[in-house]
Amino acid sequence: MSEFDPILLAVNDLATTFQTAGGPLPAVGGVSFELKRNETIGVVGESGSGKTVLTRTIMGLQQRTNVTVTGSVLLDGHEMVGASEMDKRALWGSEVAMIFQDPMTSLNPVMRVGKQIDESLRVRVGMSKADAKARAIELLELVGIPSPAHRYDAYPGQLSGGMRQRVVIAIALACSPKLLLADEPTTGLDVTIQAQILNLLDDLKERLHMSVILVTHDLGVVATRTSRIIVMYAGRIVEIGSTREVFSAHRMPYTRALLESSPKVSNDPHTRLVTIPGRPPNLLKLTQGCSFAPRCSYATDRCHQERPELQPADEPGHAFACWNPLPKTRKRTVKTT
Amino acid sequence: MSNFSQMFVEEELARVEKPEKREPLGLLFWLCVGWIGLNIIGAILANFLPLIDPLYQNYNTLNAGPSLHHLFGTDDLGRDIFSRVVYGSRISLSAGAGAMLIGFGFGAPLGMLAAYRRGRFDSILTNVMYVFLAFPAIIATIAILSFWTPRSLLKIIIVIGVASIPLVYRVIRTATLNVATKDYIIAAKVQGATDRRILLRELLPNIAPIGISFLLIGVATVIALEGSLAFLGLSVLPPTPSWGNMINESRTILQQNPWLAIFPSLAMCLFLLCLNFIGDRLRHHFDVTEVKL
Repeated sequence: MSEFDPILLAVNDLATTFQTAGGPLPAVGGVSFELKRNETIGVVGESGSGKTVLTRTIMGLQQRTNVTVTGSVLLDGHEMVGASEMDKRALWGSEVAMIFQDPMTSLNPVMRVGKQIDESLRVRVGMSKADAKARAIELLELVGIPSPAHRYDAYPGQLSGGMRQRVVIAIALACSPKLLLADEPTTGLDVTIQAQILNLLDDLKERLHMSVILVTHDLGVVATRTSRIIVMYAGRIVEIGSTREVFSAHRMPYTRALLESSPKVSNDPHTRLVTIPGRPPNLLKLTQGCSFAPRCSYATDRCHQERPELQPADEPGHAFACWNPLPKTRKRTVKTT
Repeated sequence: MSNFSQMFVEEELARVEKPEKREPLGLLFWLCVGWIGLNIIGAILANFLPLIDPLYQNYNTLNAGPSLHHLFGTDDLGRDIFSRVVYGSRISLSAGAGAMLIGFGFGAPLGMLAAYRRGRFDSILTNVMYVFLAFPAIIATIAILSFWTPRSLLKIIIVIGVASIPLVYRVIRTATLNVATKDYIIAAKVQGATDRRILLRELLPNIAPIGISFLLIGVATVIALEGSLAFLGLSVLPPTPSWGNMINESRTILQQNPWLAIFPSLAMCLFLLCLNFIGDRLRHHFDVTEVKL
């Protein structure tokens, strides 16, 4: 594939099924989407909706046993599904990198942070020790760590959470990946640091011409920083579209429920938080119908018996999976923080 | 970045600058280290120290109490107990070190590999090890040593060493399992690190503290085990002294000459106490690697 192909990542009918003692568990099913170069796409959904499994599958990170992956993940011309460990290792770091949720556990506590950045530069890029160190310090500076040369020798335990997440980002950026998977990169941080880290990611994405998949359950996070949003439920995409469309003209009742349940600053004090009734479905006991039907106030008999496929909405690129979508005329004004 | 967020960075930085203080290891720890060191030096240099030949029998001083000439007194054959305790430490120490070398040499890499690889390799190996663990090691050791004649230090080391493999395997595997599921291992992997690199650079340093303290306690256990074997007459053949051998010999003349029992017991007891204390203290000391915020 050429550098000029505008599509960096093409996911096609991807399914990840865990073989458990209770039967096959379809954690991700029928997921298809494309990601352009230099685009940020947000993946939102409740806990357990398959967001993390999706990113790990795209990355090609599966346990060695009891997992079946079907479909295709085409990353810059490389097929990730079914690729050997060695082939994937060649892509990890330089094509695709990952930022983890919890900076407390994603750094090795007994290795200096500089060394952890060095590692991949020396092993993967083949830099000399001095070059790698210089580049590592550069990276630390890039992610906004003050006096980076000094910080190079620090152990993770000597850094605060926000600093550590910056280091994690620096490690991910070491081999200049084309695609960055950020799996809830700010969940473990407090709100002010969250904003810093997200702004940093945004800034780096522009400067380094990366594509980013931003996984989160916080809609406020994706609202201003993504061009498109994927809404997942029970391992499937239930709505996909431009961020503006998903926020203002969503058709899927689940998307609305999700948007309504994020607290708003404009609410009166002591307003009860809106929740979605019921719980996410047990993936071992999925029915034939729409998995959201049991919690949906619009559900009809058809919803319980037949699963809706994604169907295009008015705007190109916007699609939703619902038999009884919300009317399209209404301009919905759901604001997030 | 705005001034506002810069302020936060600086605030964070202030937090960073605080030097991390670790509890010091303490005087007792270093005394123990010194004692162990002294024992090791004594065992190595025994030939060059101004000691009476441990096998020389002086019939003029049988069962003598401690004196200036015989610091720990003499035994029922007129041999110098001090010299025999020093020479005896050679057997005990090399049994402890040798057996643990075998135990860790096989048990530790297997344990790490099993915990990192998981799957069939892990389940088969772990079950095999558990079968061995279920068998009482001391009985097996006694049985094998009774039939594997003539006895020598090397054979004792091999038998105890092999018997310790499942124990080491279990401890190292559990420690590795704990670390192998951490995000930083996956992070290293998705940065393109090879399995070998992950095992040696990421996993090993993280389980080393547990490994080291278990190693020290393991050495202590083996020395005690060698003592038990010697007491049963299954260790090195007399007249070669070992702490266990000497205690065994003292058994029949305990009433005439208690010194023959007291000094080797004291030597063994102190040595084991120090090893255990060091192991325990180190484990405590390294326990702060996990970050708290």
